[in-house]
Amino acid sequence: MIGNHKKGEPGERLERFGQAIVRASATANDAEAEAVAASPFLYARLRTRIAAEEARRAGGETWLALLGVVWRSVPAMALVALVAFVLFWTTNLGTTTTSPGVLSDEALMDARDAGIESVVFAERRPLSSDDVLATILLEDEREVSR
Amino acid sequence: MDEQADNTDRDAPDLPEHTVASADVPDVELVARAGAGDADAFEELFNRHRRRVSLIAGRFFRQREQIEEIVQESFMKAYFALPDFANGQENSFASWIARIAFNACYDELRRMKRRPESAAGDISEEEAAWLKTQLRAVGAGADVEAAAIARDLADKLLARLSPEDRLLLVMLDVEGMSVAEIGESNSWSISKVKVRAHRARAALRRVLERFV
Repeated sequence: MIGNHKKGEPGERLERFGQAIVRASATANDAEAEAVAASPFLYARLRTRIAAEEARRAGGETWLALLGVVWRSVPAMALVALVAFVLFWTTNLGTTTTSPGVLSDEALMDARDAGIESVVFAERRPLSSDDVLATILLEDEREVSR
Repeated sequence: MDEQADNTDRDAPDLPEHTVASADVPDVELVARAGAGDADAFEELFNRHRRRVSLIAGRFFRQREQIEEIVQESFMKAYFALPDFANGQENSFASWIARIAFNACYDELRRMKRRPESAAGDISEEEAAWLKTQLRAVGAGADVEAAAIARDLADKLLARLSPEDRLLLVMLDVEGMSVAEIGESNSWSISKVKVRAHRARAALRRVLERFV
């Protein structure tokens, strides 16, 4: 017999006893197994399970297809990001920028603001003391004439 | 083994009538039709072999739900693997589905072994005393076959074996499978089957020797 070697009579008996145990355990449930085999709805339940498994596999395939699309779109997205970065970089090179947190001399001296103010005031032609005096005299003359 | 299984399946009582596919149609042809989407052909295959698969599951599991689970698992695997059968060198659907069923049982045994709550209970003092008496009687020359072994006790003893050992012992001692058949079933070489069989018997002997 397979797996049997000469172990003497007690060993052989022990082994035969072991075989009897295996048989007792394995064949004791034949009636229950027969009942399962004769179950009238066994095939219907199997079909339901196969249908569920097919749906699960189809769902898995959909996810795989979606993952494939995402995977293929990675190079295109990377290219778009690179182009956007290059455009951003080149447009920023044309303008003077001050790094944040560092004040330039121009900002500290307020030179640019003064220039703007001077232009504004120049356009307004601020009143001189002679103009004020002339205006007061003109008002006095009007009152006298009344 | 396969011819015997086929014969017993066809003689099985209380099974539904085979209405769609004739019993004369060989399994290989039904497999080809089922693989092409013929649900009736697959049902016919199921009806022919479900008793055999149920009996295999009953070798390892007690509860009806467990046996039915193995039957469904085996035929579901077979359904999705029909192209493998058609393209492979298989010449018997009966032995192919039996192999799938044994593998399903093995997987379930391993799952059960990992779950502590599903482990078999300890052997009670009465059972241990009975076992000791029987083993002494056997050692003294009593007839082994005369010892009526309780099913629960046999289950508890076999639960102490690894799933591999239990599977192998059932294949050898209950199913009467040859070394070549077991090797083919488990994708093992013949020498590996022999070595494993030797280890399985030694493991069972060690379990019993604790009670001598």
